[in-house]
Amino acid sequence: MQPAPGVVNDVPTIRVVDVYKEFGALAVLKGVSFDVRRGDVVSMLGASGSGKSTLLRCINYLETPTSGDILIGGESLGFIDAAGGSRKPRPLAAINRMRRDLGFVFQQFNLWPHMTVLGNVIEAPLRVRGLPRKDAADIAHDCLRRVHLADKADVYPARLSGGQQQRVAIARALAMQPKVMLFDEPTSSLDPELTDEVLSVMRELAGDGTTMIVVTHEMGFAREVSDRVLFLHNGLIEEDGAPAQMFGAPKSERFRQFISKYRQ
Amino acid sequence: MSESLKQILDVSIFWEYRTVLLRGLAVNFYVFGCSAMLALAIGLGAALLRVSRLWLFRCAGTLHVEIFRNAPDYVAVIWVHFVLPLLIGTVLHSRFEFNPFVSAIIALGLVYSGYFAETFRAGIEAVPAGHLEAARACGMSEGLILWRIILPQVVRRMLPESINQFISLFKATTIVSLVAVPDLMYQVSMITQQEMRPLPLYTGAALTYFLIILAAGSALRALSERWRMKIFS
Repeated sequence: MQPAPGVVNDVPTIRVVDVYKEFGALAVLKGVSFDVRRGDVVSMLGASGSGKSTLLRCINYLETPTSGDILIGGESLGFIDAAGGSRKPRPLAAINRMRRDLGFVFQQFNLWPHMTVLGNVIEAPLRVRGLPRKDAADIAHDCLRRVHLADKADVYPARLSGGQQQRVAIARALAMQPKVMLFDEPTSSLDPELTDEVLSVMRELAGDGTTMIVVTHEMGFAREVSDRVLFLHNGLIEEDGAPAQMFGAPKSERFRQFISKYRQ
Repeated sequence: MSESLKQILDVSIFWEYRTVLLRGLAVNFYVFGCSAMLALAIGLGAALLRVSRLWLFRCAGTLHVEIFRNAPDYVAVIWVHFVLPLLIGTVLHSRFEFNPFVSAIIALGLVYSGYFAETFRAGIEAVPAGHLEAARACGMSEGLILWRIILPQVVRRMLPESINQFISLFKATTIVSLVAVPDLMYQVSMITQQEMRPLPLYTGAALTYFLIILAAGSALRALSERWRMKIFS
């Protein structure tokens, strides 16, 4: 969905502002900034250890940035304005409210094994958003249709393949009707033949105009589906641009080396 | 078979006293039910302390577990019934007594809370961190996560072990006759004093306990396996 013509909408859906993240002496992110606009599909690439997963986890505060800020629709996720112009950390309950706008899909699916597929998808709309069961179920069934698993609603996750589990996880995140979907290597723990079914669901989401940030090693997806590619190296954005330009004529030597490994 | 041996082995006396014996058995179940609930509640509390991020809470939880898990239930019942009221009475400067039921339930509840705490803790720690992250990412509060994501998995994981603990607790309810709680063993010893026929009475009691525990234990194990299979297979 694009803003109505003539309306200038300058507020980025997500704004990452100078984020640093240190684990003890180890600096994983060293000042990362970028904006994501509504409808953008952003792929984050980088070797393991480059900080891309940590960055994604900082965006919904699964990791608290050591410094810097995340703005969701212009509002700071980590801080609230206190009296006297100072800022103080946002309480967890308020962070939880803002997290509803950020759907997160994990590498390991992380479905709740004691709930059916429908139970997993319905849980947050029911208990976090407080929707009536019928409305929550309608949303859940709709999301399951979008990932082509409408017929698995009453099955327990243990009975599903990895690809099906990941698609349920996508439906679970969609069910909160978030403004942005965050994907953390969603196909990295899948066998190659199961990767495609997940990627094709993600292509469809992108086609529907879903705002997405995807940490991935799938060069095909990054190149064909995303509007923009971020290449991270050593905790910094090394290169940032449209996929055609970056894959066609990479500016940084490191990105050139990085993609050459995937061409072999 | 001699006439005297026949008389000793005649278990019909157990049947003659069935009303009072059944009432005693009901007391066993009552004490079991109450102390089990108490043990589960305190055990869960202690387990949450033990997995807390705060050092002081973890120490308190560990202290609780070690004290009660290492206390013999026999000693605990006696101590709670005879010593604890003395302490409370001294503090309150008045006479204080526990109803024997209350002492028995508190003592058994506390002792078994030590065991249940460890079972709960193992169950909580076995829930993969990713399940909690997924819940946080959906905006679930920590309380909601405990209630909806952690505890339902913990209950399923701890069932096999807790069935054994419930059985031990049920067996332990037979010592409450020590403080004159009128359970089955208490009634049997009372009747024995009158009838002077310990063999049929105590054998009957042993068989009753044996059959109840065997039946309930097998049924619970079968049910819990069917339930667990759905999610852990």
